[in-house]
Amino acid sequence: MKSFYFKTFQRDSKVYLSRSSSFLGPIVFFLITITLYPLAFGSDEEKLAELSAGIIWISILLANLLSHQFIFNEDYKDGSLDLVLASGKSLFLWASIKIFVNWYFSSLPLIFLSLLTSFMFYLPYDAALILALTLFLGTPILSMFGALAGALTLERGNIVGSSIVIPMCLPALILGILAIQSYKNEELFFYIFLLAAFLFFSIPILIASCLGAIRLHFE
Amino acid sequence: MKQLFNQLISFPYFFKIAQKSFPYLFLLSILVILLGVLWGVFFSPVDVTQGEVYRIIYLHVPAASVAQSIYYTMVIASITYLIWRIKMASVFMISMAPLGAIFTFLALFTGAVWGQPTWGTWWVWDARLTSTLILLILYLAIISLFSSFDRRASTDQAVSIVVLIGGINLPIIKLSVEWWNTLHQSASMTLSGSSIDNEMLIPLLISIFGFYLYVTAIGMRKMQVEILKREISHNWVKEIFIEKR
Repeated sequence: MKSFYFKTFQRDSKVYLSRSSSFLGPIVFFLITITLYPLAFGSDEEKLAELSAGIIWISILLANLLSHQFIFNEDYKDGSLDLVLASGKSLFLWASIKIFVNWYFSSLPLIFLSLLTSFMFYLPYDAALILALTLFLGTPILSMFGALAGALTLERGNIVGSSIVIPMCLPALILGILAIQSYKNEELFFYIFLLAAFLFFSIPILIASCLGAIRLHFE
Repeated sequence: MKQLFNQLISFPYFFKIAQKSFPYLFLLSILVILLGVLWGVFFSPVDVTQGEVYRIIYLHVPAASVAQSIYYTMVIASITYLIWRIKMASVFMISMAPLGAIFTFLALFTGAVWGQPTWGTWWVWDARLTSTLILLILYLAIISLFSSFDRRASTDQAVSIVVLIGGINLPIIKLSVEWWNTLHQSASMTLSGSSIDNEMLIPLLISIFGFYLYVTAIGMRKMQVEILKREISHNWVKEIFIEKR
């Protein structure tokens, strides 16, 4: 017997797969953005190697913003959000699953792509692995902040949302970049653990505030 | 004490108090700011290393101090609103956010004017400057939330959620910006190493006090306007303005 939560997972995955723009959009955006950097800064190998971690992180941060409005918006429009709120199921788990599916389809492909593209930017192999690890820890934070912004502005567009998401995500960006830059030193673990701490610290707070933001549309 | 609090969070009572006390507070704040700034500019001694330029401190430090304090009071108000649903708290947040943005901008601007002759540039990516810039962005993001809802209660709740999350996140942002900064450049940009002399400190403190008074006065006025917007159809508003006539 399939539980409510598993069905939510299945249904959301099907929705993402059936609508190519929602999971291909961030990928295309990411590829375009990282192509722009060498065109603007020149193809000097050393310079690109120095900038590569930042370029990939910023591109992923921006690409992530595209997919956030899909998390709760459609459910709000077609009325299924009302039913879920009225059903008495654990909303915390439900919202976590929705955010996880969003992350799975919009961020996970980008993490694999970033491993491929890091070689185009002459990033050393070890640093590329650290980059993937920091993205693995950092992108869920982006997704959660994006979900919060999306939940706040269900009725309207996402313009306000992105101006809230980016400043809030700065610690993730900074810690990620610092970890990559110190990939040869001991300090690496310090930054990785801090990033992980930021992730686990934000899970309960952000999902709870997502639910608060959703409820305010039904008061 | 509890009774005083209950009175202060009722719209009519607060409106009357603010109406009466605004002119005095406003005048007092202008006088105190003038006292502090004029004392600082004309009578306090010249700084040994920086010369006359340092005198902008009498605008810069108060503005920066006020800009940060406003955010912390807004965080307290957001918690108050989220737990007890006190409407006055949301009125406070919505009135203070633009003031916070203005004073953050003022702090950045005076800092740039001060930095040009002393450091040689208008801007450095110093930890403190960067986090102040982020504070300004946060204020602007909060202000842009004001108009994105149809219902007032939604606006209040959304603003308080964002203010609270920002309040939790701001110390983290500051810390991470500091780590980022220490890797990139040495911390040579601290304010003059020696502690401030008394003759400079006293006018500075007076000026800071004046800025706080000014923000209190203007904030009260803005809260009055916000209350009027919300309660325009209520009887007590009519009573106040008809009595006036």
